[in-house]
Amino acid sequence: MNDVSTEPLVGWRLWHVRPHGDEHRLESFTWHHVSWPPRQRFEASCALHRSAAPVGDHECGIYAFRTRELAEELLRRYTGIRQHYGREYRELPPVREGRPIALGSVSLWGRILARERGFRAQYAYPYELFLIGGDDRIARELRDRYAVDVSRI
Amino acid sequence: MDIGVPETEHEIEIAPLEEPLPQPTPVEEPAEEPVPA
Repeated sequence: MNDVSTEPLVGWRLWHVRPHGDEHRLESFTWHHVSWPPRQRFEASCALHRSAAPVGDHECGIYAFRTRELAEELLRRYTGIRQHYGREYRELPPVREGRPIALGSVSLWGRILARERGFRAQYAYPYELFLIGGDDRIARELRDRYAVDVSRI
Repeated sequence: MDIGVPETEHEIEIAPLEEPLPQPTPVEEPAEEPVPA
Protein backbone atom coordinates (compact mmCIF):
# COMPACT_ATOMS: atom_id res chain seq x y z
CA MET A 1 0.00 0.00 0.00
CA ASN A 2 1.25 3.49 -0.82
CA ASP A 3 0.45 6.27 1.69
CA VAL A 4 0.76 9.91 0.67
CA SER A 5 1.23 12.68 3.24
CA THR A 6 2.20 16.36 3.25
CA GLU A 7 3.80 16.25 6.73
CA PRO A 8 7.50 15.33 6.81
CA LEU A 9 8.41 12.35 8.96
CA VAL A 10 10.80 12.92 11.84
CA GLY A 11 13.43 10.31 12.53
CA TRP A 12 16.56 10.11 14.69
CA ARG A 13 20.13 9.46 13.64
CA LEU A 14 23.83 10.07 14.30
CA TRP A 15 26.39 12.08 12.37
CA HIS A 16 30.12 12.45 12.64
CA VAL A 17 31.17 16.08 13.07
CA ARG A 18 34.36 16.59 11.12
CA PRO A 19 36.45 19.58 10.12
CA HIS A 20 36.49 20.63 6.45
CA GLY A 21 39.13 23.29 6.14
CA ASP A 22 38.31 25.77 8.87
CA GLU A 23 34.69 24.66 9.39
CA HIS A 24 32.94 21.67 10.93
CA ARG A 25 30.30 19.78 9.00
CA LEU A 26 27.90 16.92 9.56
CA GLU A 27 29.08 13.74 7.90
CA SER A 28 27.32 10.47 7.27
CA PHE A 29 27.80 8.05 10.15
CA THR A 30 28.41 5.07 7.88
CA TRP A 31 29.89 6.58 4.70
CA HIS A 32 33.22 8.32 5.07
CA HIS A 33 33.58 11.85 3.74
CA VAL A 34 29.95 12.19 2.72
CA SER A 35 28.98 15.53 4.20
CA TRP A 36 25.48 16.92 4.57
CA PRO A 37 25.11 20.22 2.73
CA PRO A 38 24.10 23.22 4.85
CA ARG A 39 20.75 24.91 4.11
CA GLN A 40 19.80 22.50 1.35
CA ARG A 41 18.28 19.07 1.36
CA PHE A 42 20.50 16.00 1.46
CA GLU A 43 19.49 13.72 -1.39
CA ALA A 44 19.85 9.95 -1.44
CA SER A 45 21.99 8.54 -4.20
CA CYS A 46 23.10 5.06 -5.09
CA ALA A 47 25.85 3.74 -7.34
CA LEU A 48 23.33 1.34 -8.84
CA HIS A 49 20.07 3.28 -8.80
CA ARG A 50 21.43 6.84 -8.86
CA SER A 51 18.73 9.37 -7.93
CA ALA A 52 16.03 6.65 -7.82
CA ALA A 53 17.25 5.74 -4.29
CA PRO A 54 15.83 4.43 -2.05
CA VAL A 55 14.82 1.30 -3.91
CA GLY A 56 13.15 -1.82 -2.50
CA ASP A 57 15.27 -4.99 -2.37
CA HIS A 58 18.35 -2.82 -1.88
CA GLU A 59 19.92 -0.97 1.03
CA CYS A 60 20.24 2.52 -0.47
CA GLY A 61 18.69 5.70 0.92
CA ILE A 62 19.15 8.05 3.86
CA TYR A 63 18.77 6.10 7.09
CA ALA A 64 17.05 7.20 10.28
CA PHE A 65 15.60 5.43 13.29
CA ARG A 66 12.05 5.84 14.53
CA THR A 67 13.15 6.85 18.04
CA ARG A 68 15.93 8.65 19.85
CA GLU A 69 16.48 5.53 22.01
CA LEU A 70 17.40 3.48 18.93
CA ALA A 71 19.94 6.13 17.82
CA GLU A 72 21.43 6.17 21.34
CA GLU A 73 21.65 2.37 21.26
CA LEU A 74 23.70 2.61 18.04
CA LEU A 75 26.01 5.12 19.74
CA ARG A 76 26.57 2.72 22.65
CA ARG A 77 27.37 -0.07 20.19
CA TYR A 78 29.73 2.22 18.25
CA THR A 79 31.67 3.24 21.34
CA GLY A 80 31.61 -0.31 22.68
CA ILE A 81 30.18 0.82 26.02
CA ARG A 82 27.11 -1.30 26.67
CA GLN A 83 27.75 -2.56 30.20
CA HIS A 84 28.89 -0.74 33.33
CA TYR A 85 29.69 -2.75 36.47
CA GLY A 86 27.58 -5.60 35.13
CA ARG A 87 24.47 -3.56 34.45
CA GLU A 88 23.25 -2.33 31.08
CA TYR A 89 24.70 1.11 30.31
CA ARG A 90 21.77 3.47 29.68
CA GLU A 91 23.60 6.81 29.71
CA LEU A 92 25.13 8.39 26.63
CA PRO A 93 28.70 7.13 26.36
CA PRO A 94 31.70 9.43 26.08
CA VAL A 95 33.16 9.68 22.57
CA ARG A 96 36.81 9.80 21.53
CA GLU A 97 38.65 13.05 22.20
CA GLY A 98 38.49 15.30 19.14
CA ARG A 99 35.89 13.10 17.40
CA PRO A 100 32.56 14.76 18.18
CA ILE A 101 29.30 13.13 17.22
CA ALA A 102 25.89 14.70 16.69
CA LEU A 103 22.74 12.91 17.77
CA GLY A 104 19.65 14.50 16.37
CA SER A 105 16.23 14.48 14.86
CA VAL A 106 15.93 14.73 11.12
CA SER A 107 13.11 15.63 8.74
CA LEU A 108 12.50 13.04 6.05
CA TRP A 109 10.45 13.43 2.91
CA GLY A 110 10.07 12.32 -0.70
CA ARG A 111 9.84 8.56 -1.17
CA ILE A 112 10.34 6.72 2.10
CA LEU A 113 10.63 3.01 2.78
CA ALA A 114 9.55 2.35 6.36
CA ARG A 115 10.53 -0.66 8.47
CA GLU A 116 9.71 -1.48 12.08
CA ARG A 117 12.75 0.32 13.54
CA GLY A 118 13.34 3.09 11.01
CA PHE A 119 13.32 4.51 7.53
CA ARG A 120 15.22 4.82 4.26
CA ALA A 121 14.39 8.20 2.75
CA GLN A 122 14.91 10.12 -0.47
CA TYR A 123 15.43 13.59 1.10
CA ALA A 124 16.46 14.74 4.55
CA TYR A 125 17.53 17.75 6.59
CA PRO A 126 18.57 17.94 10.26
CA TYR A 127 15.83 19.27 12.57
CA GLU A 128 17.64 19.56 15.92
CA LEU A 129 21.13 18.49 16.98
CA PHE A 130 22.70 17.40 20.28
CA LEU A 131 26.48 17.62 20.18
CA ILE A 132 28.44 14.97 22.07
CA GLY A 133 32.13 15.55 22.66
CA GLY A 134 32.34 18.95 21.02
CA ASP A 135 32.83 22.40 22.49
CA ASP A 136 30.78 25.61 22.33
CA ARG A 137 32.63 26.82 19.25
CA ILE A 138 31.71 23.72 17.24
CA ALA A 139 28.10 23.92 18.47
CA ARG A 140 27.93 27.56 17.36
CA GLU A 141 29.48 26.72 13.98
CA LEU A 142 26.91 23.97 13.35
CA ARG A 143 24.07 26.23 14.49
CA ASP A 144 25.14 29.01 12.11
CA ARG A 145 25.92 26.71 9.21
CA TYR A 146 22.83 24.47 9.28
CA ALA A 147 20.47 27.04 10.88
CA VAL A 148 19.05 24.51 13.37
CA ASP A 149 19.07 24.36 17.18
CA VAL A 150 22.25 22.77 18.56
CA SER A 151 22.77 21.88 22.25
CA ARG A 152 25.72 20.25 23.94
CA ILE A 153 25.04 17.16 26.00
CA MET B 1 22.08 1.14 10.87
CA ASP B 2 19.74 -1.66 11.77
CA ILE B 3 16.33 -0.24 10.90
CA GLY B 4 14.67 -3.65 10.79
CA VAL B 5 14.10 -6.48 8.40
CA PRO B 6 13.28 -5.80 4.73
CA GLU B 7 10.15 -7.97 4.94
CA THR B 8 8.43 -5.31 7.06
CA GLU B 9 9.15 -2.55 4.55
CA HIS B 10 6.36 -0.44 3.06
CA GLU B 11 6.49 2.69 0.97
CA ILE B 12 5.28 6.13 2.06
CA GLU B 13 5.22 9.20 -0.16
CA ILE B 14 5.74 12.53 1.59
CA ALA B 15 5.10 15.59 -0.55
CA PRO B 16 5.40 18.58 1.83
CA LEU B 17 3.75 21.85 0.79
CA GLU B 18 7.05 23.48 1.70
CA GLU B 19 10.34 21.64 2.11
CA PRO B 20 11.49 21.60 5.77
CA LEU B 21 14.60 23.67 5.17
CA PRO B 22 15.71 26.77 7.09
CA GLN B 23 14.52 30.00 5.55
CA PRO B 24 17.18 32.35 4.23
CA THR B 25 18.04 35.13 6.65
CA PRO B 26 16.19 38.30 5.58
CA VAL B 27 18.46 41.03 4.36
CA GLU B 28 18.16 44.06 6.58
CA GLU B 29 17.65 47.38 4.83
CA PRO B 30 20.35 49.83 5.92
CA ALA B 31 18.91 52.60 8.01
CA GLU B 32 19.00 55.96 6.26
CA GLU B 33 21.63 58.25 7.66
CA PRO B 34 20.37 61.63 8.75
CA VAL B 35 21.47 64.26 6.26
CA PRO B 36 22.59 67.51 7.88
CA ALA B 37 20.51 70.46 6.80
